Amino acid sequence: MLKKISTPKNLLLLGIILFTLVLPLVIGSNQYVLVLTTTVILFGVMATSWNLIGGLGGQLDLAAGAYLGLGAFTTGTLLTRWNITPWVGMPLSGLVAAGVAALIGAPLFRFRVRGVWYALSSSALVQVLYTAFMMWSSVGGPMDQYLPRYDASFYYLRYNTYAPYYYILLMLLYIALYLNYYIRGTRLGFQLMALGESEEAAEVLGVNARNSKLKALMIYAYLVGVTGGVYTCLFGYYHPRFFDSNMSTEVAILGIVGGLGIPYGPLLAAAVLVRGRELLRANLGTVVERSSMAVYAVILVVIALFRPSGLAVLAGDIYRAIRLRFAKDTYVKSADSAGD
Amino acid sequence: MSNLPILQVINLSKKFGNLVAVNNVSFQVNSGEIVGLIGPNGAGKTTLFNLVTGLEQPDSGKVFFKGTEITHMAPYQICQLGMSRTFQIAQTFSSMTVSEAVRVGAYNRCDEKTVIAKVNEIVNLCNLEAIRDIKCGELSLVQLRRVELARAIATGAEMLLLDEAGAGLTAIELAELMRLLSRLNSEAGLTLCVVEHVMQMVMGLCPHILVLDSGVLIAEGVPDEIRRNSDVIEAYLGVRELE
Repeated sequence: MLKKISTPKNLLLLGIILFTLVLPLVIGSNQYVLVLTTTVILFGVMATSWNLIGGLGGQLDLAAGAYLGLGAFTTGTLLTRWNITPWVGMPLSGLVAAGVAALIGAPLFRFRVRGVWYALSSSALVQVLYTAFMMWSSVGGPMDQYLPRYDASFYYLRYNTYAPYYYILLMLLYIALYLNYYIRGTRLGFQLMALGESEEAAEVLGVNARNSKLKALMIYAYLVGVTGGVYTCLFGYYHPRFFDSNMSTEVAILGIVGGLGIPYGPLLAAAVLVRGRELLRANLGTVVERSSMAVYAVILVVIALFRPSGLAVLAGDIYRAIRLRFAKDTYVKSADSAGD
Repeated sequence: MSNLPILQVINLSKKFGNLVAVNNVSFQVNSGEIVGLIGPNGAGKTTLFNLVTGLEQPDSGKVFFKGTEITHMAPYQICQLGMSRTFQIAQTFSSMTVSEAVRVGAYNRCDEKTVIAKVNEIVNLCNLEAIRDIKCGELSLVQLRRVELARAIATGAEMLLLDEAGAGLTAIELAELMRLLSRLNSEAGLTLCVVEHVMQMVMGLCPHILVLDSGVLIAEGVPDEIRRNSDVIEAYLGVRELE
């Protein structure tokens, strides 16, 4: 039993989980590294959730910013208007985002909007919500809305360190990763994969395209909505600029560069690219303004040219190469000892 | 039992702009039959399949399957009732393995507990053991057609529409396919409707043949009648001028 559990893969997994749990304790004094890691995980959660609809379901969704913003406004408004704790606000944020996703998704999937048209429609949602919330004065309109300030308050989820937000996002990340692995082995996962490849073929095999895609979209929107709740607490304010097209595109890019449909791909991409982008900004930003984005773009192009199947596939190749090498060594060793 | 109509098509029509792709077509298929649907290129065979399986909506006419009207049903509902199909241009699930692709179909009638057994059964039935873990994107056209057929059978359908399942196959592969199809028909009681260009296959397999030309059903009967039918000869070879 113990032998079955303690495979190298499971030990590696356990190691990673332990590492992520103690990380803030190790780097706790360095708030810069901690906020950077938190940002990586923030994008990791969104891109991993995106993988359900974008990777498995093959729908190029560009609306992550819409669900993030809805989450931020739900948690923020509940807190500033009615003094309702974010611990209640965050799950509600998810529900609001998933509800809006259902309202948007149902007609889009009903009328078979897909490919570039789905991408454009979802991208428009971000813009529409941005404009709507700018004009909606009873939730703040164009004014920054600040959350109550406290040095450390569990009720208001306000701390002067990033560690609590890191842990909440880490939990969301593990939920998103688990869902990716779990759904991939179920009816919904197989139906989404089939839909991503050929909608006609999937449908004549009994797949209800609208329902399957809607389920994936709502799970994704729920997780990004909850993330939006954390986001507003992390920054201590909310504003319609949270409905951000660039961020939405970046979430999709991470999902694609990471490797479509591979559960850990988007996280890997977030770790490499978001970290890399911040490094570039820190180092190049002071030399030539905005040059970091140009370098970042070049890196994306290089990946697209040489590893279009994604970073996760590259990582898999490296892992296999190392194992092969390792296996060869042990083989030679055992052959040697047999010779003795 | 075998004389009950499983599929009834009544006065079905479909226009694309000015082109009448399917013109007032009526026919019926009895349960347990193998029906061949032939006709020159552009005769409307694939459109007829699309109308029957719900991928396209007819302008007029009705379709009944097992006594239920399915004219305006979605493809997945029609499949759940028991009818599936293959495509002329293989619609491949490239990133999925063969057994995964079959599993998509198997979920139509199976839950998580029974699906694996069903996949294994279908993989065996269709001779796919050797390639079951290979990605569909890496298969040859011949193998892909077998996978498409396996996918459709896995849905547990009582009736299959096969759109040019024999195209591009060698004589041996064709014979193998025909053996599989007649086995499915005689052992599993599957009703088959095959669109085919390969005459050898249609004439050998189908006791009942429909001929479509320019969207119109011009002949219906047993192979010998079809072979001698002057309208059919005309549709395929053109008008006999000197006679």
